[in-house]
Amino acid sequence: MNFLRKIFEETGKFVEEGKPLSWAYPVWEAADTIFFSTNKQTSKGPHIRDNMDIKRTMFFVVIALIPCYLFGAYNIGYLNALAMEIDRGLFANTIFGFTYVLPILIATFVAGAVCELTFAIIRKHEVNEGFLVSCALIPLTMPPDVPLWQVFIGTSFGIIIGKEIFGGVGTNIFNPALTSRAFMYFAFPTKISGDKVWAVGPDGYSGATALAIPANPVEYDTASNLFAANTQFDFSTMNMFWGLIPGSIGETNKLFILLGAIFLIYCGIASWRIMVSSVLGLVFTALLFNLLNYFTVDGILLAGGSPNAMLTITPLQHILIGSFLFGTVFMATEPVTSSHTNTGRWIYGFLIGVLTVIIRSINPAYPEGVFLAILIMNMFAPLIDYYVVQANIKMRLSRHV
Amino acid sequence: MQKITIKKGHNINISGLASREFTNAPTQKFVSLSPQDFNYIKPKLLVKEGDHVSLGDALFFDKINPDVKWPSIAAGTISKIIYGERRTVLDIIIEIDENDEKNSDPISERNLSSREDVKNFIQNNNLWPFITQRPFNKVVDPNDSPKCIIVSLADSSPLANDLSFSLEDKKNHIVSALSNLKKLTDGDLYVAVRGDNFSFLSDHDFIKLIQVEGPHPSGNIGVILNRVNPLNQNEVVWTVQGSHLPILGKLFSDGIYDFSSNISIGGPSVKPSYFKSRIGARFDLYKDSLLMDNVRIISGNVLTGKKVNLDGFLGFYHSSFSVIEESFIRPFVGWLHPGGKSKYSVFNAYLGSNKKSYDFTTLQNGSNRAFVPVDAWEKVFPMDIYINALARSIEANDIDEMEQLGIYECDEEDVALCSFVCPSKSDVGAIIRKGLDTIYFDK
Repeated sequence: MNFLRKIFEETGKFVEEGKPLSWAYPVWEAADTIFFSTNKQTSKGPHIRDNMDIKRTMFFVVIALIPCYLFGAYNIGYLNALAMEIDRGLFANTIFGFTYVLPILIATFVAGAVCELTFAIIRKHEVNEGFLVSCALIPLTMPPDVPLWQVFIGTSFGIIIGKEIFGGVGTNIFNPALTSRAFMYFAFPTKISGDKVWAVGPDGYSGATALAIPANPVEYDTASNLFAANTQFDFSTMNMFWGLIPGSIGETNKLFILLGAIFLIYCGIASWRIMVSSVLGLVFTALLFNLLNYFTVDGILLAGGSPNAMLTITPLQHILIGSFLFGTVFMATEPVTSSHTNTGRWIYGFLIGVLTVIIRSINPAYPEGVFLAILIMNMFAPLIDYYVVQANIKMRLSRHV
Repeated sequence: MQKITIKKGHNINISGLASREFTNAPTQKFVSLSPQDFNYIKPKLLVKEGDHVSLGDALFFDKINPDVKWPSIAAGTISKIIYGERRTVLDIIIEIDENDEKNSDPISERNLSSREDVKNFIQNNNLWPFITQRPFNKVVDPNDSPKCIIVSLADSSPLANDLSFSLEDKKNHIVSALSNLKKLTDGDLYVAVRGDNFSFLSDHDFIKLIQVEGPHPSGNIGVILNRVNPLNQNEVVWTVQGSHLPILGKLFSDGIYDFSSNISIGGPSVKPSYFKSRIGARFDLYKDSLLMDNVRIISGNVLTGKKVNLDGFLGFYHSSFSVIEESFIRPFVGWLHPGGKSKYSVFNAYLGSNKKSYDFTTLQNGSNRAFVPVDAWEKVFPMDIYINALARSIEANDIDEMEQLGIYECDEEDVALCSFVCPSKSDVGAIIRKGLDTIYFDK
């Protein structure tokens, strides 16, 4: 340990102010404080500080994602075995999955680190650990067979356009991980537009994801019946909860996402208000659509137009299919881009739930709506906060007659 | 009696709380009055080194408001005046002459029947510095008329001097001080107490007693005012330190200057105790109680106090010293630490974290980072103010918005816990002070 400490102290001399290598100080500082916690002291009051810092906060989000990684890898192997009609076993399935997940993860982290460090050096700010969370999130939103060069470009776009051009962590408007997801969605639609099956199979292997089934039915029926009629995958409620269905790497197992949510809420890192309110918003809108699809006036559906199977998806199915839970727990709660007031958080979350169902059900182009819903609400979060704060200002003015 | 319960906040369980008993210590030979303890003044000295001063003699006055003069807190000789950069006066050190103090004559002119009489008495005896105001947390302008006066006897800060113990035998003087302070305002005189302490005050109708409950900062006057009588724009509230009440009381009722004060010393690196001491006391008399060498001595509490040297003095508004270890440790991958007794956090981020009595050090426990709003400030800030929005308006230098968001109700001490919990290690108190400064110098 002393040896390592010595290395840092010796190399630190090269990056001191005034030395030719001083531009590399942020990189040195990042490495130095990863290995040895800073001994920076308080200078004035408060003379004592809590033991929680941003490094640990961000690290905890990464911990919460580890179960999703493990299951995602297993699921890739499981679905592959299913398609190849072989039996491989739990361990071998997971290893098989990791041969797909690890390259994506490495590509993401390389792209993320290059962007973050470059900007830290140019802007002379310290490396913010927030990029670790963004980079840990991006692979979980990808299909397993995504080309690595696309991952590399997508991640760079997310970090630079989603975060750095707005001034870095703390001042960004859009969630960087979602920005990169959205970029890839529109830039490389053949790979991840969401309606083709997201699993690794033999050449020419195809099928429909859970969301695509009611979106493009051969013949109109309720979503539940359509799910039941699908013979390729088991889209029963239980199976969708356990996550043995095709989808993004991290989104399928709902149990592990919920465990991550409980962990983050318990630690006080993520806002439970956003999670609860977005589920409420989703349930409310889904029920409303169920009702609209049920009632007819003179033989015409209240929802209008031809019968839409998406309107028959029950609230529970909405929660279980696609990446709603994953987005709500890990993306919508990102503290910088969500609302900053508690009242605002309720509204922000609720509208994410509402928009998710609207985009999924009514918009014919995209079967998945979560990431768009969150990005749209990222944009409106400052506006929500503005009105919440204005209410406080009015209260204060009214008191002062 | 009004009862208020504060829910948001946090009692930091730092070790080294003094038990309710006194330890003997030698009597003070030196005291100091530091102009640095007072915000927004321009001191002009009236004494020089070697001068002899009596109790209550004016030491300096404020060039901005020449009516406000600072009293000598001891009788004796000015032994040293310490200057800082650009000849700012840091300390006026007085060598105490005990005989002089004993032989001082009581003030004979003590007509305190009307408001003007009380004001004149305070003016003639240089007592204005004992009365401070909100907003800005500065010595009052004698020409203001406060909308109410508030005194907190319920200090909730970590290792606070327990006034129910240290003011135990001074009931009469407390009542005398309060009854005369009441004459200074047409509004109410609020006194905040905790539990059944100071129950004798409920016999007096002129006092509006407020019973506060809940964690720190529930004892701060800013927080209490926010609940009972919020401070609006262009309003002024006056306040007196609870520990100063007996001093004022003794002057009002007996005409005697008595700057003795019971102080507490606490913290993980010291043997905690109460001492019979006086205002402006020097720390070195108590250095025997230090448990280690490498310590930071803080005049006041660990959240808002001021760092002083071993031979430093107690601040004018402080009634306790806190001592913590100066630590330079760099733990290997500290952010990965599973937990245990060496970690204290209001987040549930460490296994088996020690929240009973923790030996805090001066470590910041993390690097400064861009602010990430993880709802930490809001959990320990009990006022109906959007502190995050307020901080941003201050950074943007938007005076109108600062006023609208309620900056006048805040002071550094009210947001000290926000800085304590902030994972980005922001100094919220400095931001609030910056905002108050901007407004103060704008007017």
